[in-house]
Amino acid sequence: MSKQLQFKLVLLGESAVGKSSLVLRFVKDQFDDYRESTIGAAFLTQTVALDDGTTVKFEIWDTAGQERYKSLAPMYYRNANCAVVVYDITQSSSLDKARNWIRELQRQADPSIIIALCGNKSDLAARRQVTQEEAQKYAEEEGLMWAETSAKSGDGVADIFTAIAKKLPTTAQPAARAGAARAGAATGRAGVDLNKQNAATSNDPCNC
Amino acid sequence: MDADGNFDVVIFGTGITESIAAAALSKAGLKVAHLDSNAYYGGDEASLTLEELAQWADSRQPAAAQTSPYLSEQRNKFTSITRSSTIPDHPRQYSVSLAPSLITSVGPLITSLVSSGVSRYGGYRLLERVGLYDSAVGIRNVPGSKEDVFKSQEMSLLDKRRLMRFLMFASGDFEDKKELLGHQDSPFIEFLRTAFSLGKEVSEAIAYALAFCTSSTDPTLTALQRLRSYLRSSGRYGSSPFLVGHYGGLGEIAQGFCRVSAVNSGVYILDRPIRSIISSSNSVENTATPTGDFSPSRRDKYVVELEDFPEPMTADLIISSASLLPEGLRETAHFLPQQTSSTVLSRARCIAIIDRPISFPTSLRADEDPSPEPASVADTNPVPSVDNSPVDTSVVVFPPSSLEGGSSTSAVHAFITGQGSMSAPQGKYIVYLSVPMDETQDTLPETILNPYLDAILSLTVSPSPEASIPPTPLFTLFYAEHPSERTQSTSTENKSSTVLVSPPISTALSETSDAASDAAEVLFFKAIEILKARRREAWTVREGSVEAGSGGDVFEELKFWPPLDGDPEEEAGEW
Ligand SMILES: Nc1nc2c(ncn2[C@@H]2O[C@H](COP(=O)(O)OP(=O)(O)O)[C@@H](O)[C@H]2O)c(=O)[nH]1
Ligand SMILES: [Mg+2]
Repeated sequence: MSKQLQFKLVLLGESAVGKSSLVLRFVKDQFDDYRESTIGAAFLTQTVALDDGTTVKFEIWDTAGQERYKSLAPMYYRNANCAVVVYDITQSSSLDKARNWIRELQRQADPSIIIALCGNKSDLAARRQVTQEEAQKYAEEEGLMWAETSAKSGDGVADIFTAIAKKLPTTAQPAARAGAARAGAATGRAGVDLNKQNAATSNDPCNC
Repeated sequence: MDADGNFDVVIFGTGITESIAAAALSKAGLKVAHLDSNAYYGGDEASLTLEELAQWADSRQPAAAQTSPYLSEQRNKFTSITRSSTIPDHPRQYSVSLAPSLITSVGPLITSLVSSGVSRYGGYRLLERVGLYDSAVGIRNVPGSKEDVFKSQEMSLLDKRRLMRFLMFASGDFEDKKELLGHQDSPFIEFLRTAFSLGKEVSEAIAYALAFCTSSTDPTLTALQRLRSYLRSSGRYGSSPFLVGHYGGLGEIAQGFCRVSAVNSGVYILDRPIRSIISSSNSVENTATPTGDFSPSRRDKYVVELEDFPEPMTADLIISSASLLPEGLRETAHFLPQQTSSTVLSRARCIAIIDRPISFPTSLRADEDPSPEPASVADTNPVPSVDNSPVDTSVVVFPPSSLEGGSSTSAVHAFITGQGSMSAPQGKYIVYLSVPMDETQDTLPETILNPYLDAILSLTVSPSPEASIPPTPLFTLFYAEHPSERTQSTSTENKSSTVLVSPPISTALSETSDAASDAAEVLFFKAIEILKARRREAWTVREGSVEAGSGGDVFEELKFWPPLDGDPEEEAGEW
C-alpha cells in the first residue's frame, strides 16, 4: 500500500471571505450561494494524491463561525501543520485581517507551519480592491504561499491545496488520529487516544 | 445568530462547567449564545500563558486600577496574590492552569469527552508517577495497582496479603459489607488500621496517595468510593488511573466543548462586558382557541446588551457562572447546589516554574507498561525495566505532619508537569501546590506553601553532582482561592427561576474535572426542564389546548449526549 500522511489544516480569515465555501468546494466540489454560514462538521477530510504515489490526507478544520466575534480559541490552530488564511479580493479590509492572523500564527503556532495566503472570490475581479501585486509582494516578504481562488467557479481551489500537500515535509510525523499521536511526536512519548482503550503504547503510524 | 438575535439560552462564562453545558444544549438543538467578559476561554479554570497569568494576577490585586463588577467579585474570590516580578523566557510556551486537575480514566468527564467528540480535538497523557514524600528518603513509590503490590520489594509478605485483601474489598461493592458497617463516617486512616490491620505507612499511602484524601479526618465512605473509581480506572489507558490534558488541561478542554457548541450553531462572543439585562414580561399575543376563548399568558424574556456590540440578544433562559452573574439577577437566580457532599474550601495555591525534573526512584513506568492487558496476578516479572529519562508528569504527596513547617492536618498533593503535557518548554516544569486553608487564620498562602515548594526543589535532579547551588524557582505565584460569595441571597430557593447559576465544584486535584461534568449535566437537565415547560406553555397559548407533552415533544427522552454521528474520517469520504 502506498504511503499516506495525515495533516491538520486550519482555515483563518475574516467572516464571509469564503472559508467554508472553499472547504465545501475542495471536499465536495460544491458551491452554494445561500448556504447559511458554517455547517455542522467539526472537521472534514480530503486526500490529495501526489505524483510520487504518496497520498496526503488533510484533516480540515473550519472555524465554526468562532472568528466572528474575536472568539476563535487557541486550541483551534494548535498543532496545525498548515493554515489557509483567506481574504476577499473585493474587500481590502479583509487583507488587513488576514495579516493579523498571519502575525498571530507566526507568534503562536509551530514554526514549521506552512501558511498559504488565499485571495478568494476571483470571479468578482470587476469589483477588485486588492491587487495581485500587493498581495503577492506581502506573501513573498513573509515567506507565504499565495494564490487567488474562486470557491464559486472552482478556479485555483484544488491547485492551492495540492501545492500545500507538495510542500508539506514528507518526513514530518503526521497524526494517526487527531491529538493523540501528534502530541507523541513532539515529545518522543506516546500520548493517549481516548477513543481507544489501553492504547498507551500503541504507536501504529497509520490507521488504515 | 438569527436576524433578531433570538436565543433559547444565553450563557455567561466559559468555565469548564458552562462550556460542557453549552455543548450539550447546542447538540440538543437549542440556540445558545455563549458569552464571556474575559478575552480568553475557561473562566476560573482557564489555561493561560505566563504573560496572561501575570496579567490575571495583577488585575486581581486589590489596588489594581481597572475595575468592573466582575473584577471586584474576582478580588474577593482570589486574595493575597504575590508573584515574581520577572517572567521567564518564552512565556508563550507555557500553558498554566488556574484549576490543575487529573482526569480519571473512567468517570464523568471522560464520558463527556468521548461522547461529545471533544476527545478528538486535543491530546492527553498518562500521569506517570505518584510518589509519597518521606523526609528521610525523599520519594517513596506508591503501589498503584495490585500488580505493583505484588512486585514490590519493600513490603513483607504479610503486609502484601493484607493490602491485597483491602484492595479486593475497595474495588468491589463494599457498601453493604460488614467491614464498613458503622464506620462510614469514621476517619479513613483509622478504618484502614483497625478493619484491615494495615500498618501506618501503608495506610498513609492508601489514604493520601491512592484515595487522594486531603486530611486525616476524611470520612471512610467517600474515600472508599473515590478509591474504587480510581482502581477501576487503572488499566483503561495504561496502568495509571489518571490522565492529564495537554496545554493546561481544563482550560483547553473547555475550548473543545465550546467548539462543539459552535459547530452545532452556538454563537460565541468573548471580551465583551455585559451592559444591561432587562427582563421583559412580554404579553404573548392572545390567540383565539377553537372554542373562542382567549388564554393569555406571560412569557418573560431576557434582553441582554453587551458593550461594543450593536445587537441586543433575547433569551428564555440565562445560565451563569457564579463569577459572572450580574448583580441584578442575584435576587431571583436559582443557585444550583453542589453535587458532592464535600464542601468547597478556601485553598492556598502556588504555581511555580522550575528547570529541573523530579527525581523518582526507578520502577516500572505507568505509560510504558509493556503488557497490552493488565498483568495477571500470576505474571510476576521480577526485573522492572529501568528507564532513566526524566519523569515529566507526576504527583508528589505530602501526608499531614510529613514535612517540617508543613501542615499537621492537611495533605498536600503537588502536581508537576512539563513538556510532556505540552504545557511548558523543554526542560521546564510547572509545579502546582494547593492546600485547604483555615480562613480564620491570616497566614499568607506564600507562608503556608513555601516549605512544600522548597521540599519539591530538594527532590529535583541536580544538573551535575558537584553543583551545590540550591535550586531556585524561575517564577512563583501564590494566592488564596475562596468559594464564590455569590450564593443564594435569601432563604427562598427560587426553584422556578429562569436564571440558573452553575453549582460550585470541588477544587481538589483529582475531583475537579469529574465534578464539572456532573455539574454540567445537572445544568443541562434543569435547563431542558425549564425550556420544555416554556414550550408547552407557548404551545398552549397558540393552540388553546393543554394536551400533555404536545409542545415539548422535541425534548422527550433527551440524553445528555446523544450518539455521535459516524466517524469524522468517513464523514466527507473520498470521492
Ligand atoms: N462570488 C463569490 N462568492 C463567494 C465565493 N466564496 C464564497 N462566496 C460567498 O461569500 C459568502 C460567505 O461565504 P462563507 O463560505 O460562508 O464565508 P466564511 O464566513 O469565510 O466561511 C457566501 O454568501 C458565499 O456564497 C467566491 O469565490 N465567489
Ligand atoms: Mg464559515
